[in-house]
Amino acid sequence: MNGWSGKILDIDLSTKTYKTYPLDMEMARMFIGGRGLGARLLWDLVGPGIDPLSPENVLIFTNGPLTGTGYQTSNRFSITTKSPLTGTVLDANSGGFWGMQFKKAGYDVMIVRGKSERPVWIEIKNEVITFHDASELWGMRVFALTEKLGQNNNKRNVLCIGPAGENLSRIAAIMNDRERAAARGGPGAVMGSKNLKAIVVEGKERTTINDPEKFKFLLYETRKLLAASPLTSQALPEFGTVVLMNIMNNIGALATRNHQQTQFEGAEAISGEELTEKYLVKNAACWACPIGCTRISKTEKVEAEGPEFESTWAFGAQCGIDDLPAIIEVNALCNDLGLDTISAGSTIACAMELSEKGYLDSDLRFGRADQLAPTVEAMAYRKDIGAELSDGSLRLATKYGHPELSMSAKGMEMPAYDPRGLQGQGLLYATSNRGGCHMRGNMIGLEVLGLPKLIDRFQVQGKSAFVILNQNSNAAIDSLVICKFTNMGVADEYFARVLGAVTGIQYATGELIKTGERVWNLERLYNNREGFTAKDDSLPPRLLTEAPTDGPSKGWVSQLEPMLKEYYRTRGWDQNGVPTLKKLADLGLANLVQE
Amino acid sequence: MPVVKLYANLRKLAGTKELSLAGQTVGMVVRGLVEQHPSIKDVVLEGSELRPHIIITLNGHNVTDLNISVSEQDVVAIFPPIAGG
Ligand code: SF4
Repeated sequence: MNGWSGKILDIDLSTKTYKTYPLDMEMARMFIGGRGLGARLLWDLVGPGIDPLSPENVLIFTNGPLTGTGYQTSNRFSITTKSPLTGTVLDANSGGFWGMQFKKAGYDVMIVRGKSERPVWIEIKNEVITFHDASELWGMRVFALTEKLGQNNNKRNVLCIGPAGENLSRIAAIMNDRERAAARGGPGAVMGSKNLKAIVVEGKERTTINDPEKFKFLLYETRKLLAASPLTSQALPEFGTVVLMNIMNNIGALATRNHQQTQFEGAEAISGEELTEKYLVKNAACWACPIGCTRISKTEKVEAEGPEFESTWAFGAQCGIDDLPAIIEVNALCNDLGLDTISAGSTIACAMELSEKGYLDSDLRFGRADQLAPTVEAMAYRKDIGAELSDGSLRLATKYGHPELSMSAKGMEMPAYDPRGLQGQGLLYATSNRGGCHMRGNMIGLEVLGLPKLIDRFQVQGKSAFVILNQNSNAAIDSLVICKFTNMGVADEYFARVLGAVTGIQYATGELIKTGERVWNLERLYNNREGFTAKDDSLPPRLLTEAPTDGPSKGWVSQLEPMLKEYYRTRGWDQNGVPTLKKLADLGLANLVQE
Repeated sequence: MPVVKLYANLRKLAGTKELSLAGQTVGMVVRGLVEQHPSIKDVVLEGSELRPHIIITLNGHNVTDLNISVSEQDVVAIFPPIAGG
């Protein structure tokens, strides 16, 4: 077998037992790995109505046939579960080193079921699986725990939860390699609900490659393409993702103060330029990545990875805060506590608005940088005001009678790009299967950066086709699993060729994208089975009715309804947003609804 | 005169974040800029055309036609290739 290891590790924490069995290769061919394979397995394993924080939910760790081969950015892995934040299908993927090591341990998939009676951590050394008592580790923060369990980037890699996951915060992340996060949708709470503190892997198997010569050639070609692209060779390494701050502000699409405005007067102070000039120590990279977009930043109090654009925005513009050192520090704190930075920042912003309007009795106020760290700390431990914020903005705002002030879609906090100035991005958030998110497709390339070409960001008609292509392509890349930034220098066509060289199964580019479409439709079916309908493909009322009063997006609201109708039609779904039998048959999914 | 704002590595190359430049169209402003700061010419232009991935906005709206006219109070922002997510 080439590419895939061909093996599933299935762990039951309730009995502290495990078994291994072969991967269904027909399933692997159809869904590849990562997010796709995870969604297909979740369909069978977690049926409707299961409480995401109950032992019946599972964590499915998947890598892909490219993982660990040394192909550029083949370091990622995916975690699939039912989200405790949204109740939807969830996959959260992460880079670093752990994914590569997990593949070297000899498995394509690891399923973790049940619940341990006492805190436990798992050590995997290829076929030797050991359950260790974690009572003494329970309560430890991520950085100290990662070191204690022997993190060694290329040899032994630690994945764990922090206090936020232990305390079942629905916005808790699973962390790996110290500061990498499978952040969104609360997978850390699922791990916490199972009393599972950490999974440490050491592996020694090599992924076999069907056509090593062709693979070597494609590796060389990809290296050349990444080096030739100004995006992957200069833009990302030089300024990191935070470089987007100024341009989003310039075009009036930088959500500010809980989306009350679309431009932030303090954007320059929290920009990539400012970060690079004053706080950047050096760059870093995930395994097998020549791009190296990661920043190591330093303030008087911390030296840590990041912050990325979204984290900087969430604690910055969204909270009306222009204090970059405070943002760097709270970003590191979130990583140490195991919290999703986007949801944490946007939930604090929601609380600030609720408080300023007198709906919530707290002293949280926009612009108060001094409140960031104590609030995040309190959220992870469910203490004081943190207890109210720990489960995200929608639960908070609903409790205080104003759900409309949660800037979320399907209950997941949206990222920085304000959909009023970016019509396609709004459609993307509303239809995202895991909730408001920019990683299920991102229209910024097309609507702002001209990648690969510029389209009118205010245009409504015809937008759905671009959004769909973007979503399908992203689902395919997430199933390979590689880093989406690679795609800025390398076309999808290359990925199809590499997949063919590694596995020996020839995938045409169209087939690869169709796999993405299959994954998207399967995720949609999962959500439909959970009771989600077209009504849930929505945005906060503010974005649909309150137009910005100044700036380049002045006068615009999201024109979601016409775009959504067009989207369903173009997807081959009925007007209620349900995939038609014809579409499912075309994708080889009809058997799932006819069973 | 229209205000020109520079971002990312263009700032270092030009030694400034912002300047005022005469010109009746965006194209004229850009040509004025590279004349005054030859160090950024190769980043921004390929011959007389914009290099791929250079982003120019006029008062926050993406410019696709360099012949678009500019007036006194306008702000032209120029970004080198940038990416992220
Ligand atoms: S581009 Fe950045 S996130 Fe992607 S693999 Fe490289 S270092 Fe990691």
